[in-house]
Amino acid sequence: MIRVEGLRKSFPPVTALDGVAFEACDGEVTGLIGPNGAGKTTALRILYTVMTPDSGTAAIDGYDIVKCRRDVQQRIGVLPDARGLYPRLTAREHVRYYGRLHGLGGAELEHRIDALIDTLGIGEFADRRAKGFSKGQMRKVAMARALVHEPHNLLLDEPTNGLDVGSTHAVHRLIDGWRRQGRCVLFCSHIMQEVAAVADRIVVMAMGRIVAQGTVAELLARAGTDDLERMFLALTGRAESW
Amino acid sequence: MWRRIFVVFLKEVVDNSRDRRSLLVALIYPLLGPVILGLLISAVVDVVSADQARDLRLAVGNADRAPALVRFLEQRGVSVAPAPPDPEAAVRDGKLEIVVVIPDDYADRFRAERTAEVAVVVNTSRLSGLIALNHAAALLSDYNREVWGARIASRGVDVQVLRPLDIKSVDVAAGTHIAEILLFMVPPLFIFNLFMGGVYLAIDTTSGERERGSLEPLLINPVERWALMLGKYLAALLFTAAAVVVQLLAFKVAFQTAGGGTLAFAQVLTVPAIAGVFAMTLPLMMMAVGVQFIIATVTRSFKEAQTYLGLLPLVPAIPGMVLVFAPVQATAWMMTIPAFSQTLLLGAFVRGEALPIAAVALSMASSLVAALILIVVSARLYEREKLIFGG
Repeated sequence: MIRVEGLRKSFPPVTALDGVAFEACDGEVTGLIGPNGAGKTTALRILYTVMTPDSGTAAIDGYDIVKCRRDVQQRIGVLPDARGLYPRLTAREHVRYYGRLHGLGGAELEHRIDALIDTLGIGEFADRRAKGFSKGQMRKVAMARALVHEPHNLLLDEPTNGLDVGSTHAVHRLIDGWRRQGRCVLFCSHIMQEVAAVADRIVVMAMGRIVAQGTVAELLARAGTDDLERMFLALTGRAESW
Repeated sequence: MWRRIFVVFLKEVVDNSRDRRSLLVALIYPLLGPVILGLLISAVVDVVSADQARDLRLAVGNADRAPALVRFLEQRGVSVAPAPPDPEAAVRDGKLEIVVVIPDDYADRFRAERTAEVAVVVNTSRLSGLIALNHAAALLSDYNREVWGARIASRGVDVQVLRPLDIKSVDVAAGTHIAEILLFMVPPLFIFNLFMGGVYLAIDTTSGERERGSLEPLLINPVERWALMLGKYLAALLFTAAAVVVQLLAFKVAFQTAGGGTLAFAQVLTVPAIAGVFAMTLPLMMMAVGVQFIIATVTRSFKEAQTYLGLLPLVPAIPGMVLVFAPVQATAWMMTIPAFSQTLLLGAFVRGEALPIAAVALSMASSLVAALILIVVSARLYEREKLIFGG
């Protein structure tokens, strides 16, 4: 459960977030969508604790993201904007490192690592060093290390960016699985079709503000169109230009 | 929290021990100084001892014009050989160390009791040339004095009246070996290596981590940022310590081998002494890694960090280089300057002097204080939001 109220953040002279408020519920997938530079990544960075807001509050499972940073970090699994791997560590070592940083260890941790390797289809390259991994393989490892502590809330920044069709579908299936387990999933994307296909609820951002939120059907009705991209352009107030 | 710090430390050690560049800087670079110094000492010892072993061979051009001089030289154990047609070329090419040339008018001027010229052709850019010149000059000046004494005495004057000074030099160096001067290169080489050993880890674990995009996900883990920084710091400190130990052991091997192990310093460099030097300079290692971390944190990219940190080791090593040629008397305030105090203490150690406990304590304490300040500053820098972007 993620609750955001009146979030503001500026990097002078740019105002990245100008009073952002929304909710992402358990057992639901919430899609945060907006054009490039709308503030999606900044909003997520504040939620996953690497930045602090200038004002406003946000809480994850009731824990304030500023005052209870450690509690929040234990309850979130994150695929951040930067998701680099260590070229000299194997896939398995990446997951083990994050598991240990979460205080896990021993047979319990190894069991979880094996399970993740199995679920994400990492088996084939689990004990190879990350140097030379394909984008899909790297994404799987980045996912695995984010999941090792079995977080209840998942924050994903453009999870399918740069992936081929097969890998994109695998990520969508994973997200669907978390929804059915009752987890809270918040992901951001700038691809309307993807958000419409995966998310239960959509939050539309533009220029650091929330311009609309609701189900796909509600948003289409509000924009008075049945075309997703036209709706996106209408809601974000963007003309078809750079 | 210490367990998490250890997790970070262990990961960085494993990760970097798989990196050829980190290993090269920590384990192979430290060998360069001792190897070069060992070779230099061997070369110098060879030249000097070879010269002392055999009598001077002196090529004399036109020897027939100065039979008395030749006789004098031979009495002093010099074997006089004829000079080649072009003495300057022979010396320049290194075929001969030194050639004495007697000019055409020598015999006439000598007989007339006028000052007669003797040319000495030598290449002083070679150490062996310098030694030969010293030897030849001493012989010629002895001959000069003998002839002059005879001429003065024949006029009824006491020679001693014209010799107010008789210069005798007494060398007080602990080891009188010329090679020992090269030992003064040890402190600057040591300091340079100390500031170099962990450099690659400092860059890799901070700027490198950011540039790979692995820093942002790392910061999301439930671990305090200062703890992440400390784990990385300790890994870099371990590599620095490894570089220092490797270099000290290499110095030991080099000095025991070079010049047939005749150097007094080789006997001083025992395993307990190495342990002592390590302990004495540990605070400086902590400080060096602290400086590296601050630079690696505030620079924006791997390359920028590499540029600054590649130059960093030169700065603390420069005073040591200067001291090779212009030694100073250590005073208390100098012991409060990190890097400089260790340079002075190592210099004293190399000369075989006892190190005053108070000076060592002051040096260690001041470096430790500086190191702790730098660690706190690094930890503060890690807390900044800007960390994930650099700058």
